[in-house]
Amino acid sequence: MPVLCPTSISVLLLVTLGLAPQSIAGPGAPVDFTRDIKPILSDTCYHCHGPDAGSRKSGLRLDRQADALAGGKSGLAAIVPGQPDASELIARIFSSDPDEIMPAPDSHRTLTANQKELLRRWIAEGAGWKEHWAYVPPTRPSLPAQAAATDRAPAPAHPIDAFIHARLAEARITPSPEAPRRVLLRRLALDLTGLPPTPAEVDAFERDPRPDAYERQVDRLLASPHHGERWARPWLDVARYADSNGYSVDAPRQIWKYRDWVVAALNRDLPYDQFVIEQLAGDLLPNATVDQKVATGFNRNTQINQEGGIDPEQFRIESVMDRVATFGSAFLGLTLACSQCHDHKFDPLPQRDYYRLFAFFNSTVDDGHGKSTPGATLAFEGEVSGTEAAKAAADEARLDLEAFLDARGGDFARWRVEIHPDARAQLSPALRAALDIPWAQQTLAQRRSVYGYFVRDHADFQQRVEKLNALERLEGKAVTTLVMSELPEPRATTVFVKGDFTRPGDPVSPGTPAILPPLAAEKPTRLDLARWLFQPDQPLTARVMVNRIWQVYFGRGLVETENDFGSQGSAPSHPELLDWLATEFAAGGWSMKALHRLIVTSATYRQQSLARPDLELSDPLNHLLSRQTRLRLDAELVRDVALVASGLLAPRLGGPPVFPPQPDGVMNLGQSRRAWIPSTGDDRHRRGLYTHFWRATPHPAAAVFDAPDAFSACTRRIRSNTPLQALTLLNDQQFIEFAEALAARVLQEGGNDDTGRLDLAFRLCLSRPPTATERSRLLELLRQIQSPQNGEPAGSAREAWIAVARVLLNLDETITRA
Amino acid sequence: MPPPLSIDPALHLSQLTRRHFFSRCALGLGGIAFASLLDERRLHGATAPFADPLAPKAPHFAPRAKNVIYLFMAGGPSQLDLFDYKPRLIELNGKPVPPSLIEGKRFAFMGTSHGNQLLGTRRTFARHGRSGAWVSDLFPHTARIVDDLTIVQSCAADLFNHAPAKLFMNTGSGQFGRPSMGAWVTYGLGSEANNLPGFVVLQSGPRGPRGGAVNWGTGFLPTTYQGVPFRGQGDPILNLTNPAGISALRQRQTLDALRDLNLQQAVATGDAEIHTRIAAYEMASRMQASAPELVDLSRESPATLQRYGVEKGTPSFARNCLIARRLVERGSRFVQLYHTNWDSHGGPGENLESDFEARCREVDQAQAALVTDLKERGMLKDTLVIWGGEFGRTPMGENRDTTGRNHHIDAFTMWFAGGGTKAGTIIGETDELGFNAITERAHVHDLHATILHLLGLDHKKLTFRFQGRDFRLTDVHGNILTSLLA
Repeated sequence: MPVLCPTSISVLLLVTLGLAPQSIAGPGAPVDFTRDIKPILSDTCYHCHGPDAGSRKSGLRLDRQADALAGGKSGLAAIVPGQPDASELIARIFSSDPDEIMPAPDSHRTLTANQKELLRRWIAEGAGWKEHWAYVPPTRPSLPAQAAATDRAPAPAHPIDAFIHARLAEARITPSPEAPRRVLLRRLALDLTGLPPTPAEVDAFERDPRPDAYERQVDRLLASPHHGERWARPWLDVARYADSNGYSVDAPRQIWKYRDWVVAALNRDLPYDQFVIEQLAGDLLPNATVDQKVATGFNRNTQINQEGGIDPEQFRIESVMDRVATFGSAFLGLTLACSQCHDHKFDPLPQRDYYRLFAFFNSTVDDGHGKSTPGATLAFEGEVSGTEAAKAAADEARLDLEAFLDARGGDFARWRVEIHPDARAQLSPALRAALDIPWAQQTLAQRRSVYGYFVRDHADFQQRVEKLNALERLEGKAVTTLVMSELPEPRATTVFVKGDFTRPGDPVSPGTPAILPPLAAEKPTRLDLARWLFQPDQPLTARVMVNRIWQVYFGRGLVETENDFGSQGSAPSHPELLDWLATEFAAGGWSMKALHRLIVTSATYRQQSLARPDLELSDPLNHLLSRQTRLRLDAELVRDVALVASGLLAPRLGGPPVFPPQPDGVMNLGQSRRAWIPSTGDDRHRRGLYTHFWRATPHPAAAVFDAPDAFSACTRRIRSNTPLQALTLLNDQQFIEFAEALAARVLQEGGNDDTGRLDLAFRLCLSRPPTATERSRLLELLRQIQSPQNGEPAGSAREAWIAVARVLLNLDETITRA
Repeated sequence: MPPPLSIDPALHLSQLTRRHFFSRCALGLGGIAFASLLDERRLHGATAPFADPLAPKAPHFAPRAKNVIYLFMAGGPSQLDLFDYKPRLIELNGKPVPPSLIEGKRFAFMGTSHGNQLLGTRRTFARHGRSGAWVSDLFPHTARIVDDLTIVQSCAADLFNHAPAKLFMNTGSGQFGRPSMGAWVTYGLGSEANNLPGFVVLQSGPRGPRGGAVNWGTGFLPTTYQGVPFRGQGDPILNLTNPAGISALRQRQTLDALRDLNLQQAVATGDAEIHTRIAAYEMASRMQASAPELVDLSRESPATLQRYGVEKGTPSFARNCLIARRLVERGSRFVQLYHTNWDSHGGPGENLESDFEARCREVDQAQAALVTDLKERGMLKDTLVIWGGEFGRTPMGENRDTTGRNHHIDAFTMWFAGGGTKAGTIIGETDELGFNAITERAHVHDLHATILHLLGLDHKKLTFRFQGRDFRLTDVHGNILTSLLA
C-alpha cells in the first residue's frame, strides 16, 4: 500500500490552508486579511457568528468589521486591534475548557494550531480588515513591474504573461517552453472549434515561416462556423438546455431554436452584454425581433412537471427558483439558492434579497404544468422540420397501429359500459367525447388514447405506440420554441418562510441584493435587471465570465470555485490578472472573440503540458501555471474527434435534434417508455451538440463522459475516468462504425504499405506521426490479427486495420487535449 | 527512446501513486475541493491508495453492516393493506375523515380525485412470529420471516408527488443535483468488488421508476460513484459484449496494444491520469468476464431458484433479488432494486384489488427468500436489507375507476433486516386511523442518518464540499433511531 511521506503531508496541509504554499504568510511576512484570515473566519465562525440572523449565537457577528470589534452580548471585546491578549476571540480559541472553547465542540469545526497562531498574529498586527474582494469593482491594475527582462527570460510582450511570469519569478520558477507546433495546432483547434485539425492543416502550419503564423491560425479558427458550436456547449450547460421537459414524464419539447441562436450569436461575436441582455429580457426590448425573443429560451430551459396530481403552482415556483439560482451562478458567481430558506450563512445575502430577485422572474405567462399557455411559445409560420423518409416511416407505423386497433372494437363496447361514473368524470374532454363515438368511427388518435387509457400494460400496443410517437416527432411538424413573456399584471411576490411556498411571508418588490450596486430604475423590470449586470460599478459580471472562459483553456479558473465568488469560495490565484482581464473585457466592448484571442495568443497558453517533476513539491497543482494541462475532452468532443478522424462527420450546422444510434433498452430506464429510432443518413454523424437530450434518459455515451444532466445550471463539468467509458469506446456500436470507417479510409488513402497507412492513421487521430516504438507495436498487432492462433483463423487485412483503428480511437491521447 | 514497454503496469502504478495524486487534483477532479480530499485522507487514515477512488476505505467507526440491498417499492405501497392494521378504520369505513386531520394539508390530485371518506382495508390481517407483527394475507411469505425484520410503522416524508418524493427518499432532497444514498455510501466506503461496480441498480415491473437516473445519480460527487443500472435481459451492462465478429483473443490483443501505447504516453507526459485510464480498461476487461458470470444463474441450485421463484430466462424481481445476493457476495457495496408499479390510485392498472395483489405476489416470495438465504449463508449480519417506497397511501379512499388510495407522507411503513438492526421489532405507532405517526416518528432524514450509522459512517462527517458548502446526505437534519439498532 502506498503511504504518503511526511513531507507531502505537510505540503498538503499548507495547500489546504490557502492556495499554493507560497501564498501563506510566512513567519516574516505580514498577515493578509483577505488571503489568510477571512477564509478561517468564514469556514469556522460564520456558521454561528455570520450574516444569518436566525442562527447567530450570543449576538456576535464576525463578518463585518464594526460588529466584530463591538463584540457580542457578553460585552467583552471580541477583537482589540493590536492586543491579542485583551481579545476575547483569542482567549476562547486557545481555551481548553470545553464550555469556553471556540469553535464549540458540537459545531464539528476545529482550528489548527497554525490557524490559531495566524489569528493571534493578525490581531497583534492591528486586525486589518478588507471588504470581500469580489464585492469591490475591479480597477485596472498596471502590468507588474517585475515583468522586465531577466537573465532567465526575456520581457514578456503579452499582458497575461506579464502577470503570470511575475508570480513565477517570485517563486523562482521558469515557465515551460512552447509546445511543438503540431501539439499547439491540435490544442488550438480543439479549444476554438472542438474539431481536430486535418493532416494538411498541420503540415501547412508546421511549414509556415511567417512570424505571425500562429496568429493566422487563431484568426482562421475563430472565423470558423464551428467555433460557435464548440463554445455554445459550455453556455448551454449553464443554460441547462435539454430537448425534454424533465421530471417523471419527460415529454419532448422544442427549444432547439434557442440552441441555434447561441451558436449564431457566438459566431457573429455578439458582445457579451447584448448576448446576456437578449437572453434574460429579449422579449422586453423595444421592438423586439424574433431572434431576441428566441434568446429568452435561456430561462425556459427549466423543467416542467407533467405528472398527474401535482399542484401546478408548486412547480411554477420551482421554475422561478431555478431561474434565480441560474442567474446567481451564471452571472454573479454566487450561491443564491442558500438564501431561499434563510439568510445566507456566509455571504451578506439576506433571504429578503433572494425574493426581491425572485420577483423579477415571477410574472411570466408560463405555468407549472406545461399546458400550452398563450405567449409562452413562439411559432415559426411555414417552417416545418423533418424529412420525407420520416414521414413515410410514420405513415407505415400508423397503418400498422390502425390494423392492430381495428380488431379491438369488442373490448371498447365493454369498457364504455363498465367505466365508473367518477372515473369517467375525470377523463379529459377529448377522451370523454371519444367514448360516445362508435369504435369504427373513431379517428386513430381517439382510438389510441382510449385504448391507452383502458389497457395500460399491453406490450404489443405499447411498442407500436412508442415507435409511432418517435416517428411522429421526426416527421413534418410545425417549428416552435419556448420563450419568456410577461403577464399584463405582475404577480405579487412575498418571502416564503423557510422557502416553503405554502407559507407566504412579507411582500417584496423586485430589487437587487443590497451588497451589490443599487439598481437605479424606480419600478425595475427584467430588462433593467439584465442591464444592471453591465453597470460600470458592477463587481462580478465580467470577472465571473472571464474566469469561466479561462477555466476552459487551463482546466481551472483563476478563481477555482467558478460558481462561488462569495466568502466560501477560493481566493483568486492571480487577483490582478483576473481584474485586468475583467476590465479589458468590458473596455473592449465585451467581445468574447477578442477575449479568446487574447488568452490563446499568450505564451502561458502556448506552453507544453508535460509534467514538471521539479515542481512536484513546490507547485504540485500547477496553480502558478508554469505549464499547460492535459485535459480529457468533453463528452460531445470525444465523439466529434472520432467522427472527424474517420471522415464521417456531417458538418452541417443547426436544426432539430438528431438521434445517433444508442444501445437498445436505454429508453426503458425512464417512467415513460419512448422509442429511440436511430437517425438515418448523415444525421447519424452530426456533432454531439445536436444529439437529442432526454433529461430522464440521456444518451449513455454522453452521460458516461460526464455530460451534465440539464437539471440545473452547470458551470464546470466533472472529468471522470471510469471503466464504463472504456466499454463505451471499445464496444459501442457507434464507435465500431467509426473504427470501420477509419480503417477503410486508411486502407484507401494511406498508400500500399503498412508504415504509410499507420502514419496517416496517427495523423488523423493525433495530428502527429507515430514514434518508432508505437509503429513497431502496431505493426505487431497487424501481424497478430492476421495470423492464426489458438485454432482461430487468420483475420483479414481489413479486420487487422479495424483493430488498429480501435486502438487509436481508444487512446488516451486521442480523447485528450494536450 | 522511451523505456521498454514490458513494465508491469501495476508496479508502475504504485510507483507513480504519489505523483498520480497530485496530477489528479491538478485536473480538478469533479470539483473535489482539495480540503475534502484531505479530510477524507485524515478520516480514513493514510491507507487507501489514491489511484482507485473505489478502493475500500475504513468507516468512521466499527460498522454493523458492510453492504446494503435496498428493495425500493416504486410508487408507494399501501401500508394500510400490508402492515399497519387499523380495526378502527375498518369500523369507520365510508365515514368522512375528521377535518382536524386534514385541515391545511395538501395532497396530490387535490382538485380531482382526492377523496375524504375513510377506507378500511379489505384484507385479512393476522399476527405472526414471536414479535406478533401484523401482516396481511397479501404477504404470506414475508409473514413467515417477521422475526428477522424491524418493521418501522412511523416513517414520514416531506413531498407527495412521485418524482420529487423518490428523489427525497434517495438523496435527502426533492431538488435535483444531490448525490443518492448509494453514491454517498460508495464515496464513503469504496467497494470490495474488484471486477464489478460498487453500486448497482436492478429494475423490474411494468415501467422504469419515475425520474430515472437521478435516483441513483451522484449529483456533485464524481461520477465514479454513480449507480450502474444492470439490465434485466441481455448484457447486464451496456456495451459489455465484444463487438460482433471480434473474438476474446482479438479483443485481448487489441487491448494489450492499447495498454502499451497508453503506457508509453504516460511515461512521455508524466500525466498519471493515463494510469487511471489504463486501470479503467483493465477493470472494464474484467467486468466483461465477470458480469456475464454474475447473471448466469445456472450454477444456482434448483432449490434456490425455486425458493426465490426465479423462472429461467424471465426478467423479474425474483431474479433481481438473487442477483443482488450474488453481487454482495462478490463485494458490491450497495445494490438497489426498483419494483414498479405500486401507485394504487384505483384507476386501470393500478387498482387496490387485482393490480395490487399482482404487485404483492411479484415481490413477496422473493423478498422473504432473499432474507432467509442471506441468513443461511451467514451474510445477513453484514448486509442491511431495506424495504419501502417513497411514501405510503392515505387512510381515505380515492375515487377513480375503482376506490384506491392517494399518496400519503405523514405515516407509512418500511422494514429492515440484518446489518445490525434489531430483529423481530416493531417501531413506532400510528393513530387509530393510521393517518399520523404518534410515537417514534422516523423521518426520511432520520432513516438516512441511521442507515449510515449502521455502516459505520457519521452522517454529520460524511461531507463533500460543493459551491462553498459542506453537503451531507442528511442536509442539516437527521437523528439516529437507536431503537432500530440491535
